[in-house]
Amino acid sequence: MIEAEYVAPSNLGELFKSIEGRAERVKFVAGCTNVLPDLRAQNPAPMLLVDLTGIEELRRIEENNGVISIGSLATMTELAASEIIRTHGPILASAARALGNPLTRNRATIGGNIADASPAADTAPPLLALEATIHTEGASHAKREIPVEEFFIGPNQTVLNQGELITRITFPIPKDPSASSHIKFGLRNAMAISVVSVAVVLEMQGNLCHRARIALGSVAPKPIRAYLTEKELEGRKITEEVLESCAEVVKKEISPITDIRASAQYREHVTGVLLKRALWQAAREGENSTNGNI
Amino acid sequence: MKKDPKDQLSNYEYQFIGKPVPRHDAWDKVFGRTKYADDFDMPGMLFGKVLRSSYPAAKILSIDTSGAEKMPGVAAVLTAKDVPNNETVTRFGQTHQVGGFEGLYRVLADKKVRFMGEAVALVAAETEEIAEEALARIKVEYEQLPGVFDPLEAMNPDAYQVGEGDSNIICNYQVRKGDVKEGFSRSHVVVENTYRVPFVEHAFLEPESGIAWIDDSEIITIRVSTQVIEHFRDVADVLGIPHNKVRVIAPMVGGGFGSKEDITVETFLALLTWKTGKPVKMTWTREGSIISSSKRHPYVMKYKTGATRDGKLMAMEAQLISDAGAHVYLSPWVLLYSTVDATGPYDIPNVKVDSYTVLTNNTFTSANRGFGAPQVCFAYESQMDELARRLSLSPLEIRKRNYLRKGDALATGRVLEYGVETEKTAIKALEALGEPSMPSSPTEKIGQGLASGMMSYGRMTFLHDTSRSYVGIELDGSVTVRCGVQDIGGGQASSLASIAAEILGVPMEEIKVFIGDTALTPIAGTTTATRMLYMSGNATLKAATEVKKSLLPKAAEMLEASPEDLVFRDKKVFVRGAPARAIPLADVVKACAADGVQLYNVAQFNAPFRELIDFKTGQGQVFPDFTFGSHAVEVAVDTETGKVRVLKLVACYDVGQAINPLSAEGQIEGGALYGLGYALTEEVILDKGITLTPSFSEYLVPTSVDAPHVKTIMLESRDGAGPFGAKGIGEPSCNSIAPAVANAVANAIGARILDLPLTPEKILRSLQKL
Ligand SMILES: Cc1cc2nc3c(=O)[nH]c(=O)nc-3n(C[C@H](O)[C@H](O)[C@H](O)COP(=O)(O)OP(=O)(O)OC[C@H]3O[C@@H](n4cnc5c(N)ncnc54)[C@H](O)[C@@H]3O)c2cc1C
Repeated sequence: MIEAEYVAPSNLGELFKSIEGRAERVKFVAGCTNVLPDLRAQNPAPMLLVDLTGIEELRRIEENNGVISIGSLATMTELAASEIIRTHGPILASAARALGNPLTRNRATIGGNIADASPAADTAPPLLALEATIHTEGASHAKREIPVEEFFIGPNQTVLNQGELITRITFPIPKDPSASSHIKFGLRNAMAISVVSVAVVLEMQGNLCHRARIALGSVAPKPIRAYLTEKELEGRKITEEVLESCAEVVKKEISPITDIRASAQYREHVTGVLLKRALWQAAREGENSTNGNI
Repeated sequence: MKKDPKDQLSNYEYQFIGKPVPRHDAWDKVFGRTKYADDFDMPGMLFGKVLRSSYPAAKILSIDTSGAEKMPGVAAVLTAKDVPNNETVTRFGQTHQVGGFEGLYRVLADKKVRFMGEAVALVAAETEEIAEEALARIKVEYEQLPGVFDPLEAMNPDAYQVGEGDSNIICNYQVRKGDVKEGFSRSHVVVENTYRVPFVEHAFLEPESGIAWIDDSEIITIRVSTQVIEHFRDVADVLGIPHNKVRVIAPMVGGGFGSKEDITVETFLALLTWKTGKPVKMTWTREGSIISSSKRHPYVMKYKTGATRDGKLMAMEAQLISDAGAHVYLSPWVLLYSTVDATGPYDIPNVKVDSYTVLTNNTFTSANRGFGAPQVCFAYESQMDELARRLSLSPLEIRKRNYLRKGDALATGRVLEYGVETEKTAIKALEALGEPSMPSSPTEKIGQGLASGMMSYGRMTFLHDTSRSYVGIELDGSVTVRCGVQDIGGGQASSLASIAAEILGVPMEEIKVFIGDTALTPIAGTTTATRMLYMSGNATLKAATEVKKSLLPKAAEMLEASPEDLVFRDKKVFVRGAPARAIPLADVVKACAADGVQLYNVAQFNAPFRELIDFKTGQGQVFPDFTFGSHAVEVAVDTETGKVRVLKLVACYDVGQAINPLSAEGQIEGGALYGLGYALTEEVILDKGITLTPSFSEYLVPTSVDAPHVKTIMLESRDGAGPFGAKGIGEPSCNSIAPAVANAVANAIGARILDLPLTPEKILRSLQKL
C-alpha cells in the first residue's frame, strides 16, 4: 500500500518551506513516468510527494552569453521542439525525440531523467558530451553546481542529497554544434530502452579532430565519458583506420552487462560500430541522425 | 483493398456482403463509449485478488490465512479446501500411449504447485489495497522441489514428475503415409534442420477482467472478458450447483488471441461472490497476466525434407515436441493442429510425423492465434527455401511444383473439397512485392522472402461442433439477431448484421445484434478456432433465410406476384425488374403478424460430424476446411548491428468471400503484425520457471513505428464452407509471416537462423561477427 502526503508548491520558496525539516521523506515528482511505475513495483515507506509541475520557473529553456540553460521541468517534447536546443545542442534534441513514445515524451522531464540515473537514461550521453552542469538547490537554499561527469554514481544513484532539487541544467554552446552526433540503438523503434547509445561532440580543424567529447549509455553501471577514446582521437585525422582504433580503445573503457536485451559481448561489438558511425557523421559535419533511432 | 475482376468467379450482386462498410460498433470504440469488462462497477462491490505461487515447483506444507482474515475490510480468504469441487479430471481416448491423454485441473493449488503463476489463494476485500495487503499476510509454507524446465529433459522416464501421473509426456500423435525411407532414397537433396520457436504472450490490450454478482433470482452472474461464455458449465460444476444457476455475459472483448479461451477470472469471481454474497470485481495487472495466463507453445521441430533434382518433394519426416508448461489445458489439441499442418500446403508422397507435448514447470501453454499452425509453418517454409537454394530453384518455383490443389489429399488422407488457391496467392504476393530496393548504406543488405501457409478454420470435426442463432423481424421491419457469440474485436457481431441485412434487405443500422449472454442468446460456441463466421454466420444465414421464407407467401399475395420473383431490398419488397411495384417491408410484416405467421427463427448449424481419426497413422478428417495464403516480405539487414528493418510486407490470402472487406483486411493487417513480432522481437523468456519478461518493457511487441505498411490482397474464391463461400481468416492471417521474414533475412545475409525471434544478436552470430 502506498502511503503518502502530497504537496504542490507553486514556486521554489513555497517548496522549500513545505519540506523544511522533512527532507528525509521527500520524493519529488515531475512527469511521474518513473515515479509511478517505481512506487507500484516497490512497497515504499510513507513519504512526502512534492509535485514540481506547478513551478513555472523550472520550465524555461534559454540562452545567455553562450550558455544554454534548461529548467529541470522541460519535457522531452519541449526539448525536441526547442529552436535553441536544436540549434545549439542538436544531440540533446535527438535524444529527447528518441525517448519512449509521444505520450511519455509529453510528460518525461530532463530533471527526472537524470535524477532517476538509469544507466540507459537517454539524455545523459548528450549532456555528458556537452559537458553540462547540474544546478541544484537543497534545504536552507544551499546551491550546488555539479559537473554532469560527477553526478552519476551507479545504477539509479546520484550525488543528490535527500530533498536536493535539480533546478536547471546548463551547457556552454559548442564551437560547432553541427559537428556532433547522437545514435540510440534499441530493439525496436520506439518504447525501447537503449541497448547502447552514443553521443559525440567534436571540434574539427579541416578533417583533423582537435577536441573530442564522447559519451556512452547502457554500457556501464552509469552513463560514462569515454576519456581514453577521446585521447585516441584528438589531434588525428578522421580516417577509417583511426575510427577502427577508436572502436578498439572504447572496448577497454566500458563494462557492459548481459541482460535480457543483449549480451555483454553484443553490446561491446555494437558500441564500436555505433561509435564509428557517430564519429564519422559528426566529422562530416553531418546533420545529426534524423530521428536518433536506428 | 482492390478486387481483381479476374478473381470474381461469377458476378454476384450483393448489397451488403463484400461491401466495405464501417462496423456498426466502430464509432463507439473510437469515442471510448464501448464498455469493456473493467468499465463495469456495482455498488458495494469487493475487489478480488489472487495469491500466486512463490516457486515453480514445490510442495505446499501449510497455508495460514488467519493474518489476512483478521484484517478489517477483508471479506473472504479462500484456499483449495474452500472450493466445493476443486479438482477436475479430463480424459480423452483409451490409451495414454497414442492419441489419448488425461488432464488434472485444480482451481486452487493443493499439495503441489507446478508453476510460478499458479493460484494458491483468493482474497476479496473492500479496496484493492486491502486485498493486496491481505495477500501479503497469507503465510504459505513450501518445500521447494527441483522441477524440470526443458521439455526434452522432461521426456526422460526418470525426469522430475511435474504432475501426479507417471510420465510428463501428455500425448503423442503419428502420421504415416507411404514410406519415408524409400522417399529419401529417391531424393536428390535432403535438408535436415532443427528449429526452435519461443513462448509467446498474447499481449491483448485488455488484461483478464470481470465482475460477478448474485442476481435477484439467486443466479450467479459473471460479466467477463472471455472467448467462451459456455464456461458457465465449468463454473457451475466447480460450485456444485446446476448449470442453469450460472449466467455468463461477455461484453465486447479487448482482444483474446486464444488466452481467453481457457477460464481466467470467472471461477475465482464465482467463488468469491458465492462466499461473500456481494458483487466482486477482479482485473489482473499486466504482470499478473503475463506470469500466470497461457502462452503460445514453444516447439523443438526436427525436420528432414527430401526432393528430386527438379524440386518435387519426395519425403518429409518431422518430430515435433511442444512444451505444454505446467498443465494440460489445450496442449493436446494444439499439437494435433501442428501434426496435421506439419507438411504445409504441399503434396508429399511419403510422410512421417511424430509429435509430443510434454509437461514442464514453465508457465502453461494453450491456445494462441494460430493454434499450433505458425510453429510448423516456420519450419516447413524454412525447409522449402533451403531446398530451393540447394537446387538453384526460385522459392516460388519449388513451391509451385508442390502445392496441393483442390481435390488433392493431405498426408492424413483428407481430400480438399473447397478452394485451394495457394499458388495464386504466392504469385500475387511476389508481384506486389516488386523489385528489391537499393541498400541505404554499404553495410546494409536487402533480402526478399516468400512463405505460404495453411490453417484450418472451424473446430476439429470429431468434436461435433454446432452453433445457433435467432433472427426475428419486428413490426416496423427492423431486425433483431440474438446469438451467443463473443466479439473479441474481429467484427464477429457486425458480420452477423451484414448477413441478416443481406438476406432481409434491411439496412445495417436497423439490425440489432445481441451477443454473448448465456441466459438470453442462443449458445453459439466459442470465438476460437476461426469458427465464428463459419459456424454462427451459417446459423444466422439459415435463420434469416427461414424468416424471409415465412414472409414470402404473404408478400407474394400482396404484390400479386409469384414468391420466386420477389426482391427484399431497402426495407421494401418488390417484383424483380419492377422496383416501382414496391411495398414497405413493415407492411408485409404487419400483415404476416395479423395472420399468425412466425416472425422469427432459431436455426442451428452443424459442422460436419466425423469420428476420431486413427492417431497411429493420422488418417481421417480432422477439420472442415483450410484457409490458404502467402506472405512476401522485403527486409534490410544492418550487417554491423544485426538489426532488421521490414521495408515491405504483402499479405495475400484467399478469404473465400469477405463479408465485410474492412473487417477482413483488419484481420489480415493485424495478423501480419502479430506474426512480425513473432519473427523479430517477441519472446517470453523464462529462467527455471521464472518469467524475466513480465511487462511490455521487456516483452517487445512491434509499435506503430515498427510496423511497415501492410499491403493486403484478398482473393475471393467464393469456395469456402462459410456463409456465401467465406473461409475463416482470423488465425490463418498470422501464419506465414515469420517464415517469410526468416526467408528474407536468409536471402539478405546468406545464412539461415533456425530459432525465432531473429534478434540482432542471433543475426550477428550467424554472420560470425560475434
Ligand atoms: C513508457 C515509458 C517509456 C520510457 N522510455 C524511456 C526511454 O526510452 N529512455 C529513457 O531514458 N527513459 C525512458 N523512460 C523513463 C522516464 O520516462 C524518464 O526517465 C523520464 O525522463 C523521467 O522523467 P519524469 O519527469 O517522468 O520523472 P519522475 O518520474 O517524476 O521522477 C523520476 C525521478 O527523478 C526525481 N526527480 C524528478 N524531478 C526532479 C528534480 N527536479 N530534482 C530532483 N529529483 C527529481 C524523482 O524524485 C524520481 O526519483 C520511459 C518511461 C516510460 C513509462
